[in-house]
Amino acid sequence: MNGPALLEVEGLTVEFETYGGTVKAVRGVDFTVEAGEVMAIVGESGCGKSVTVQSLMGIIPMPPGKITAGSARLNGSELLGLEPRAANAFRGKEIGMIFQDPMTSLNPTMTIGDQIAETLKVHRGIPDQQAFESAIKLLEMTHIPEAKKRAKQYPFEFSGGMLQRAMIAQSLACSPSLLIADEPTTALDVTIQAQILDLLKTLQARDSMAVILITHDLAVVARTAQKVCVMYAGQIIEHGSVDDIFYQSAHPYTLGLKSAMPSNVGDRDKSLNPIPGSPPDLFSPPLGCGYAARCPHAMRICHEENPPFFQDSLSDGHAARCWLQAPNAPVVPELYQSNKIASDGA
Amino acid sequence: MNTTRILTEADFAPAPSKENLEQITRPSLSYWEDAWIRLKKNTRALISLYLIIGLAFFTLVGPWIWTKDPAAQDLDQISQAPALPKTALLVKDFEPSPTPIDINHPSEPSGYPDALDAVTNFTVQGTPTTQSVRLSWAPVNEAGGYSVYRSESAPDGMLGLGLPLASLTSGNIVGFEDRLNLKSQTYYYSIIPTDGFDEFDAVTTLEVSPQQSITVSQALERQLIDGDDRPGQTVQLAFHPLGTDYLGRDMLARLMQGARVSLFIGVVAPLIYVLFGVFYGGFAGYLGGTIDQILMRFADFVVALPFLLFMILFKIAFGIGPGESGVLPMLIALILLLWPATARLVRGQVLRIREQGYIEAARLLGGGPSYLIARHIIPNTMGVILVTLTFAVPSAIFTEAFLSFIGMGVAPPTPSWGSMCNEGVKTMLSHPHELFFPALFISITVLAFNLLGDGLTEALDSKMRSKE
Amino acid sequence: MLRYTLGRLLSGIITVWFIATATFLAMHAVPGDPLMNEKATTAEIRENLARKYGLDRPLAEQYVIYLSNMIQGDFGISFTQQNRRVNDIIKDHFPVSAALGILAITFAALGGILWGAITALYRNQLPDIIIMFLVILGISVPSFVFAALGQLLLVNLNQWFGTSILPVAGWGTFSHMLMPSLVLGLGTMALLTRLMRSSMLEVVNEDFIKTAKAKGLSPQRIFFKHQLRNAILPVVTVLGPQIAAITTGGFVVELVFAIPGLGRYFVQAVQQLDYTVIMGTTVFYGAFLVLMVILVDIIYGFIDPRVRLK
Repeated sequence: MNGPALLEVEGLTVEFETYGGTVKAVRGVDFTVEAGEVMAIVGESGCGKSVTVQSLMGIIPMPPGKITAGSARLNGSELLGLEPRAANAFRGKEIGMIFQDPMTSLNPTMTIGDQIAETLKVHRGIPDQQAFESAIKLLEMTHIPEAKKRAKQYPFEFSGGMLQRAMIAQSLACSPSLLIADEPTTALDVTIQAQILDLLKTLQARDSMAVILITHDLAVVARTAQKVCVMYAGQIIEHGSVDDIFYQSAHPYTLGLKSAMPSNVGDRDKSLNPIPGSPPDLFSPPLGCGYAARCPHAMRICHEENPPFFQDSLSDGHAARCWLQAPNAPVVPELYQSNKIASDGA
Repeated sequence: MNTTRILTEADFAPAPSKENLEQITRPSLSYWEDAWIRLKKNTRALISLYLIIGLAFFTLVGPWIWTKDPAAQDLDQISQAPALPKTALLVKDFEPSPTPIDINHPSEPSGYPDALDAVTNFTVQGTPTTQSVRLSWAPVNEAGGYSVYRSESAPDGMLGLGLPLASLTSGNIVGFEDRLNLKSQTYYYSIIPTDGFDEFDAVTTLEVSPQQSITVSQALERQLIDGDDRPGQTVQLAFHPLGTDYLGRDMLARLMQGARVSLFIGVVAPLIYVLFGVFYGGFAGYLGGTIDQILMRFADFVVALPFLLFMILFKIAFGIGPGESGVLPMLIALILLLWPATARLVRGQVLRIREQGYIEAARLLGGGPSYLIARHIIPNTMGVILVTLTFAVPSAIFTEAFLSFIGMGVAPPTPSWGSMCNEGVKTMLSHPHELFFPALFISITVLAFNLLGDGLTEALDSKMRSKE
Repeated sequence: MLRYTLGRLLSGIITVWFIATATFLAMHAVPGDPLMNEKATTAEIRENLARKYGLDRPLAEQYVIYLSNMIQGDFGISFTQQNRRVNDIIKDHFPVSAALGILAITFAALGGILWGAITALYRNQLPDIIIMFLVILGISVPSFVFAALGQLLLVNLNQWFGTSILPVAGWGTFSHMLMPSLVLGLGTMALLTRLMRSSMLEVVNEDFIKTAKAKGLSPQRIFFKHQLRNAILPVVTVLGPQIAAITTGGFVVELVFAIPGLGRYFVQAVQQLDYTVIMGTTVFYGAFLVLMVILVDIIYGFIDPRVRLK
């Protein structure tokens, strides 16, 4: 990696004040996104994926939400803690965003065309008529048939898949250098999911735009991403290339996610293995590793101290927060342990 | 690798046990337990609940504690503002006395005077009481008579003299006894000399504050004394903590009796029509199809009737016979007109619940219709019904008050808060308490039920949210 | 949209027929002789009067006559004012009530939307707390108390300034309308404020507001173009029934402020058991309210594309 990355996030910490106490939703997250790359963030519901990217956009409700620490730089300029006016200069212009549920994410009382044109009018100062024509072109770009007619329609006249296309058209209106896609296919039918992902990939490649793709669906990750961050209980617990994550899983949680994923290759009769239990209470995060309570390989230290990242000695950019990756940790056969391979080889 | 400590073999020993697995599970609560906990956290709703309990106490137990007859008229204390217990001076019964005349003064003027002097020595004889105020004055030269006026506010010269009490047509009359409806307040008496016909521009004014008093025979009649008391003593008058109305009836006792009428209509009518609406709507929703269509179409028609006009129509259609209070006709009219809203709501709920997966699941497990209704449909509509009922109470109370206010509600002398407001508004300027108290009670009741309804809605929100 | 409107109008006509029938039945259930209050003491005069008003015919026949007259827009002749047609009474007095009601609903709607938006913007801050306290008062205090207090206020104001700032009672000029319509609209205004507030707070949490923020729109633009318009929708839906509440609520205000409106006339007619006036007024009011509800529905269709385009 040479030169500064497109987006650098360091030590991002987000808390929510609730009646029950303070929820530590994101606990010191670091990652970088290079220009033109697709990075996926995976994890189960409630692990802090959405909060992470929404706090980058400054759209978590504040209060109760609060970014207590960390920085995020887009092309070197800070995104966090900006005045609303300064924040609006990059939202929708430098960073586009699409959401999980296209049915509720568009204003029901405005036409699709007007909503897309609005972004152009606000950021580029383009007059109404021209902005609307650009909106039609954007709809055509996302393969919406009869875009001219469709632009004058309201969200309720669209199907879910069509709406997500319109959302994509809207988020790409100002050709952003980064697109955040927050579970873009979760609310859609499986067949539509594939179409939307293909569309996203095509547009990403055409504009060499960076994408942060949030999902809990590993199949989606395998299809689209180059780099993956696995999140659990408000922290990234493993990151690396797609191949690293899928074929050299270094964290028991990543293994667990993989074995809970249906597969159409290999042994089809193999039953799916759900991970027992549920994520820890983030009102009072555990002292040790967040996954220890559910981990089949939990050791004494796992409950006592949160593990640091152990760098994969064989693959650059692949690291996991797991004590099993410590140099003198015991061997777990199903887990990838670079230190063991390295020592074996030595 | 920079760890914070040196890792030893012991650190890598398997963890002792998995006692921490699923440590976050809370004790499971039923729907109603959960709602009750949330309601208890809502201070406003809780205060409202206490207010409602207080009102129930006021209505049901109040008349046992405050035993004054709400229909009894206390003629000594009419339209009296709220006050501490009052005492009255016991005075002798009225004995007519001859008109005081100065025999040394001519009764008629010698001619037609161009001007007359103002009256001098205008004073009160003895103690002024609410039984009588005796005025006396020195005769004016050449006067052929005197005019006496009484006002509740200070007159401005010849303006605002107030009530003309007497027109005396003899120049040598030197006294006047006022016995006209006196109250214990300040009066301004004015006297103007006349030539027997016309008043002259010379007024003398006297400020008098009569003392509350009662005659011996009146006191005996009202059992305030037992015969031994003598004039000059003070006696305790009947106590009216919230004052009296324009007929001298005790406001507190009337408010309690009025509460019975207002709250009876306010609580019983909603109970009946909500229950009817639940059956009607539940029936329509459960059966579905054509029957549902017909039943709901009829409900739509009833909703479209202009409510207050039909309340009045129904009330006169049922008629009020002599001596009847008119509570029952109003109750029936309310029930006839207001059930469709609940019916619609419950039908919607039932239709929604019928579509839910758990009903399907229960049916597949062999649950019969009665089991489904008792175990699933009723418990899941209870919250909505409860909220409807809570909001129905204030609207029924408002309706009663409104109708009674325009004179179409309960018939006098039966008091209701609304009819008390109707009476009170007529004396609003001089005796505001007669409007204030019943209006206050209506407002507090409506407020309490509204806030409780809000609290219940919030407490039952997890179910309410999916209503639409 | 046209089909929707026509459908609504048709069901409206059926509803008016139902109202007319219910009125007819209710009035004929009234115990006693409708001519009881008449000065006509001899049996002969009573018989003549009964014939004149068709009271000697069987009920079914009376109903047919009543309906056919009504379809022709003829509500008959007053029982107590023998030479006055009910149509004329409505024509004379309804415009007064309508003017009062329109001004009241305007006050209520504008006030409700404005205060509701303000309370939502300043949620849990001082303006919100003050306005919501007043709203609770507005919902809990009966309209006749407001009417009485409004009049009292005018009396005192006029006394204080020594001149007539606003007339205390009566009818004729715009200044006569101000206080009565304000008083009449207060309850509805409180209700709409509450509704607007909760609607605003609900819309704030909608996903499309998040989208609007992510698009980089200014807070003002989000507020006016995205939040406000969507929040007003539920407020508009209750306007229809609220018009009904305000029109009939006018009775009290007309009584207190001595306004010669149809409401006051209706109360008077009920006291005198003036059959034709009662029936005519009720059916007229019913038809008017049905029309208002349809009108509001159609207006709603224009604001909400989801209704318009279905």
